[in-house]
Amino acid sequence: MDFTLKIWRQENRKAKGRFETYKISNISPDCSFLEMLDILNESLVDKLSHPVCFDNDCREGICGMCGLYINGHPHGPDSAVTTCQLHMRKFSDGETITIEPWRAKPFPIIRDLIVDRTALDKIIQEGGYVSATTGGVPDGNAILISKHKADEAMDSASCIGCGACVAACKNASAMLFVSAKVSQLALLPQGKPEAAIRVQNMVAKMDDLGFGNCTNTYACEAECPKQIKRSNIARMNREFICAKVASEESTKR
Amino acid sequence: MKLIQFASITKKIALASFGLFLLLFLPVHLGINLCLLREDGGEWYRNASHFMGTNYIVKVFEIVLMACVLLHIVVAILLTIENFMARPVRYKVRTKTKTPFMSRYMIWTGGIVACFLVLHFINFYFVKLDIVEGKYSANIEQVDKAFQEKALKLQKGELNEKDQAALMAQYQAISQISPDKMDKGQKNMVNLTKEEVEIYCGKDFKHKEPDFYTMSQELFAKKSYSFIYILVFLVLGFHLYHAINSLAQTFGLSHKKYSPVIEWVSVIYAVVVPIGFAIIPLWIMFVK
Repeated sequence: MDFTLKIWRQENRKAKGRFETYKISNISPDCSFLEMLDILNESLVDKLSHPVCFDNDCREGICGMCGLYINGHPHGPDSAVTTCQLHMRKFSDGETITIEPWRAKPFPIIRDLIVDRTALDKIIQEGGYVSATTGGVPDGNAILISKHKADEAMDSASCIGCGACVAACKNASAMLFVSAKVSQLALLPQGKPEAAIRVQNMVAKMDDLGFGNCTNTYACEAECPKQIKRSNIARMNREFICAKVASEESTKR
Repeated sequence: MKLIQFASITKKIALASFGLFLLLFLPVHLGINLCLLREDGGEWYRNASHFMGTNYIVKVFEIVLMACVLLHIVVAILLTIENFMARPVRYKVRTKTKTPFMSRYMIWTGGIVACFLVLHFINFYFVKLDIVEGKYSANIEQVDKAFQEKALKLQKGELNEKDQAALMAQYQAISQISPDKMDKGQKNMVNLTKEEVEIYCGKDFKHKEPDFYTMSQELFAKKSYSFIYILVFLVLGFHLYHAINSLAQTFGLSHKKYSPVIEWVSVIYAVVVPIGFAIIPLWIMFVK
């Protein structure tokens, strides 16, 4: 298969970026998107020019490192996959593919297609933890949790923090990410002690970092590689209202 | 930089709450407007306008309503500015993600409705507030009754010179009412300007309200106005399509059992209410 690639190139955070066009040919339909970029980079290195920088790590769809905005879709046109799990057979032969980095104020570009997603880590630091007692190892099933709740918490916990929700959202809102992180703990008894302050702190941090506001458009849900549901956002709103109304703990700024 | 130092969710809940009040008010307004469809020469409609204009509880809610309209618009604009600032560099390729169509254009559909609201206020609400001059009308029987009471007082010598002069002016005004000022729809109604109504009814006459019935009939008689009116309610329908279910999401109401119900209520409301409003100009154009 042959493709024309339009790729965003930017030297560093402050440099002015531009699109560059590359032609690539003889790509197998079974080649993954990142492998295709590897092939492009090899040819670029052969010509002694700088390869295209992009984030990647596990290449099996579980780490959340890769993330490219491909032809108007975060993680490309396939559904429920990360960029590394996207294959070239999803494109038609001779297609022009435009590749852009995640665009959001809290995600500054490091180089080319790599963005700095530390903002998501900062939100986690605000409340993505539970208190644990010291001492002996507790019995595994000492706390009873219903299957339904456990399943829901597991679904929320499957968020890999890739930032596709932010990239997809027309407002660059991180609500789906934050709500998944709030939900996975709010659903379980282990998360209850910090529940009221957690949601307030994480939302406050999200706002401080400059993410947009949710307008319930659900582009995040449509593009999430882990199929995190919009009901998480409703749950976070519910948690937030309950915390504001019922709890005397509030975020210290 | 955040425009107002409230949490994003707080601002969204505020926006939804103001919107909820507007959602509750709209069927009330529709109920009154549907009185226009009655072939009673505007009796019900005038009575409803009179109730809405004079009842004290309604007057309190009028202030709440205006505050909600204003705040709904202000918060929406603030949030939109914040949202725009959250992505300083836009994508080259427009998003291809499939999302509910109406949800993406809330600020635009809302903006169109807000523009119509300005026109609507100039046509009706500002007339009520006495900022813009409108059409007035009076019931001859009621005016006569009030006039005769005052004439009786005059006979008893209870009126001072100023009041006597006013009464004379009123007498002249009443005797000079020409037949072409009589309302064609309703018996005993006479259409007047604001100055005329002052002299004609006397200063202390209670029912000196703008005649919204005549004003609305005149507006709907204009094809261009009716066309704009129907178009605006189509746009409002788009806006409302994303209103109730979005509101439920913001309030955190999401449940396997009742979320589909909310979804249906949202759709039914967004279809029924705008159609209810749009029927009125269509009825006046084609049926009457």
